[in-house]
Amino acid sequence: MCGIIGYVGELDSGGQTDGGAVDSVGAIVHEGLRNLEYRGYDSAGVALVGASSGLTVAKRSGEVDGLTVPDVPDATHGVGHTRWSTHGPPTDANAHPHTDCAGDVAVVHNGIVENYEALKAELSDHEFTSDTDTEVIPHLIEEELAADPDADLLAAVRRVEDRLEGSYAICAVREGNDRIIVARRGSPLVLGRGENASFVASDVTAFLEHTRDVTYLEDGDVAALSPDGVEIVARGEPVEREVETVTWEADAAEKGGYDHYMRKEIHEQPESLRQTLAGRLDVDAGDVDLDVSFPPGFLADLEEIRIVACGTSYYAGRYAARLFEDLAGVRATVEIASEYEFGAGRTPDRTLVVAVTQSGETADTLGAVRRANAAGARTFAVTNTLGSTVTREVDGTAFIRAGPEIGVAATKTFASQVATLAMLAVAVGRDRGALGAADARSVLEDLRGLPGAVQQVLDEEEQVREAAREYGDGEAFFFVGRALGVPVALEGALKLKEISYDHAEGFAAGELKHGPLALVTPETPVLAVLTDGARADETMNNVTEAQTRGAPALGCVSAGDEYDTLDVSFEVPDVGVVEPLVANVYLQLFAYHVANDKGRAIDKPRNLAKSVTVE
Amino acid sequence: MSDTPVTAVVLAAGEGRRLEPLTNRRPKPMVPVANRPLLEHVVEAVAAAGINRIALVVGYRQERIRNHFGDGDDWGVTIEYVEQSTQLGTGHAVLQAEPVVDGPFVVLNGDRIVDAAVVSRVRDLARDGDHPAMAVTTAERPREYGVVTLDGDRVTGIDEKPEGPVETNRINAGVYAFSPAVFDAIRETHTTGELAITATLNELASAGDLTAVGYDGRWLDVSNLWDLLGVNAALIGESEQTEPTDAAFGASVTVADDVALAGNVRIGPNVTVGGSTAIGSNATIEAGAVVENAVIFPDAVIGAGAVVRDAIVAGNARIGANATIAGGPATVVVGDAVHHDVALGGVVGDNTTVGGGATLTDGAVVGDDVRADAGVVIDGRVESGAVVRRG
Repeated sequence: MCGIIGYVGELDSGGQTDGGAVDSVGAIVHEGLRNLEYRGYDSAGVALVGASSGLTVAKRSGEVDGLTVPDVPDATHGVGHTRWSTHGPPTDANAHPHTDCAGDVAVVHNGIVENYEALKAELSDHEFTSDTDTEVIPHLIEEELAADPDADLLAAVRRVEDRLEGSYAICAVREGNDRIIVARRGSPLVLGRGENASFVASDVTAFLEHTRDVTYLEDGDVAALSPDGVEIVARGEPVEREVETVTWEADAAEKGGYDHYMRKEIHEQPESLRQTLAGRLDVDAGDVDLDVSFPPGFLADLEEIRIVACGTSYYAGRYAARLFEDLAGVRATVEIASEYEFGAGRTPDRTLVVAVTQSGETADTLGAVRRANAAGARTFAVTNTLGSTVTREVDGTAFIRAGPEIGVAATKTFASQVATLAMLAVAVGRDRGALGAADARSVLEDLRGLPGAVQQVLDEEEQVREAAREYGDGEAFFFVGRALGVPVALEGALKLKEISYDHAEGFAAGELKHGPLALVTPETPVLAVLTDGARADETMNNVTEAQTRGAPALGCVSAGDEYDTLDVSFEVPDVGVVEPLVANVYLQLFAYHVANDKGRAIDKPRNLAKSVTVE
Repeated sequence: MSDTPVTAVVLAAGEGRRLEPLTNRRPKPMVPVANRPLLEHVVEAVAAAGINRIALVVGYRQERIRNHFGDGDDWGVTIEYVEQSTQLGTGHAVLQAEPVVDGPFVVLNGDRIVDAAVVSRVRDLARDGDHPAMAVTTAERPREYGVVTLDGDRVTGIDEKPEGPVETNRINAGVYAFSPAVFDAIRETHTTGELAITATLNELASAGDLTAVGYDGRWLDVSNLWDLLGVNAALIGESEQTEPTDAAFGASVTVADDVALAGNVRIGPNVTVGGSTAIGSNATIEAGAVVENAVIFPDAVIGAGAVVRDAIVAGNARIGANATIAGGPATVVVGDAVHHDVALGGVVGDNTTVGGGATLTDGAVVGDDVRADAGVVIDGRVESGAVVRRG
């Protein structure tokens, strides 16, 4: 889970900086790293290649802004890397790029070289300076170039690639060579096709300000980038890959006027939800148009939907599983992707496996999809990212259209995931004849009201800010709910622990008395989902149990209902089965303001990365 | 000198109480006309004048503004935000921009729509001139604004909303050219109460130091709720409306030419959308409804068979089936002032539900979060959060 950027191009100023530094290769690479910093941020580095200055490497542990990019006026191309440690601690030496013994070849890498120890043993006459798996790659390239001095860097990388096991994306540069060589196997890599310039990155946000024309590499592709374009080789043969145009806005991936991406993204939810729903609801007909299709009879014969996901996406899956059971009359289970196995006598052709992943690159979820595919089950993805790996590996995809999300703590994508899955539940229910038009219409009206209801909650931010100030110093926080309130309680607790580092736990409210109640004291606020779809009255009984132990109680309550004993009551507009989802916006704001009051690094919580591309 | 960069300082911190209930949840600059906030029309004029750096002075409900404009890339400008935490007048608002302004600058109001032409003329004066300058336009009812007296192209005085008769219809258009020297001038202005920029301008005028720039182009001001309908109509009429691709239409729908539809609007069968109407994102017009000369905000729902004429329906409000806002001339009370014969059928605030078969008469203004039962008849003002019952 690291970020890669590479740039090769003919600068108008001939590589000279005039006043602003934006015109240099180093500045473009540095800017790309800043755009990628959400992918990992414990160390960063760059390698710049100039016609006469040769190869210059600068790297260090710490955030991207702390990296001083050397001034290399004649640089023609360069690569950069922002790292989130997997092998070896975040140190200057372990930061990328890594180089060979001679200092002629530099490599940045995302992923894991599984056989690096064996390879390292073979390279016993090479000098290694880091603990990383990556460092074997430049030394292997050095070997190949030594063995065949006429070989170019592309040929050398292709030969090295044959010896690597694992999943990776790599970019290599070499002194005296004017192209960047990249290879993809299992880790995301996308090329940008600019005018007299080419880019490569693990995510388009890295270079979106320069070009919107992109090519997604496929597994096994090796490519050479020059200012005039790219040459792609797959299994030894030159291939052409499609050039696609990215339509979403680069600036949407910037922070605008907000202090934190997370707060910006929380506030974007009415608009992102409108996009999620746009053109998909046919309220009058009681149906949805998700532009997905299944083989005739498949849904009617379906025995089970198994949702696989991690983290926040897993909680979206928990929400959806209940909707599938209630609306579509089909057994639905949710599995943590890393624990998922296909088995227990299930019939593959009567099972639909739905992968929920914001990035579409989550390694655990991709692994689960591959196991489901191998077993012969039909697979489906719900993701935010066009062209992501998961979309290539499943039989069908529904996009959540939430726009880019930069804050590590997922907010708007959770809302859009649940909304998309709810539409899928209606579609499946209608197809199976399990859901009548009138009942469907009622759910769709609730969904239609979702953006406006979320805006109403955002308008109450001041109330949440005050509650955060009043209760944010609790020793621990317990989130409870029932039915659709359970996944929201779990998500609310996850959000708080992710960004405020406070101890927070979510429970099914009925479970409180089976153990967790022992932890409840006057210093442990309880936050409850007390809305439609969450069996509010029963939940309130459990909240009262906690209150009698002195715990302060905060509740998200359906408009029109009142629980007089609550210390704080947040009003949730009337939108039926999506009320718990609207209540979640209060919990997002609560987590944000608690963390903000404590001065936490909200967009980059310690030890966490946005897109987890290792298992 | 001609390429000295000029910054635009846009004042968008105010609340806009006269537009209640629309401004209970958004600042006045974020009230939409033709489906885009007033402020967006201002930002576009600034960008079209070739100014690419904007300092937005924000305060009341500023999240709405930050969320919409971000860093300005969508408009090809760089937006910086400065906060005016308490609204102490327009002069005070301009002062807040001092840390981000280091050269000549223009000042505009975030809720007055003007042409790019006047912005670029004032910008040129800011760039070249040693004197501060202000745009002067004409108005039918000059006494509602700052009436300007001139001597040649020198401003000799600004009389804010004068009580008595006035000799001229020339008014302050609210577009100014300044150098950073004005910050000291504002600080040295003696006022009681709010620090209005016009107080400083008057001092500059008495010193013979304020140049007037005549302007007779578009100047649209939303002082009162009913002005919103007129400004909306003017802006929709000006631009070619294209039918959005992802709007969903039922059968037998009639939509007039001068209607602005946002992207994902749903329109049921047998609906009639008459002219001068804007319908916001994710709004729904259910079967058989008639909507004419109206501003429908995002997420609103107009129920089946409802009639909504000369009306403003704010965000996420719901007009019940067969409810009626008949439209036509009305008498509307704003504060202490009674306005007769204004074209306002009714206003419905954010998140309000008007029950089925209910009727709004005579320019009724319903606050936000109101629950009005089915069949009620509403006239006059209904406070926010109220419950209106039958009987």
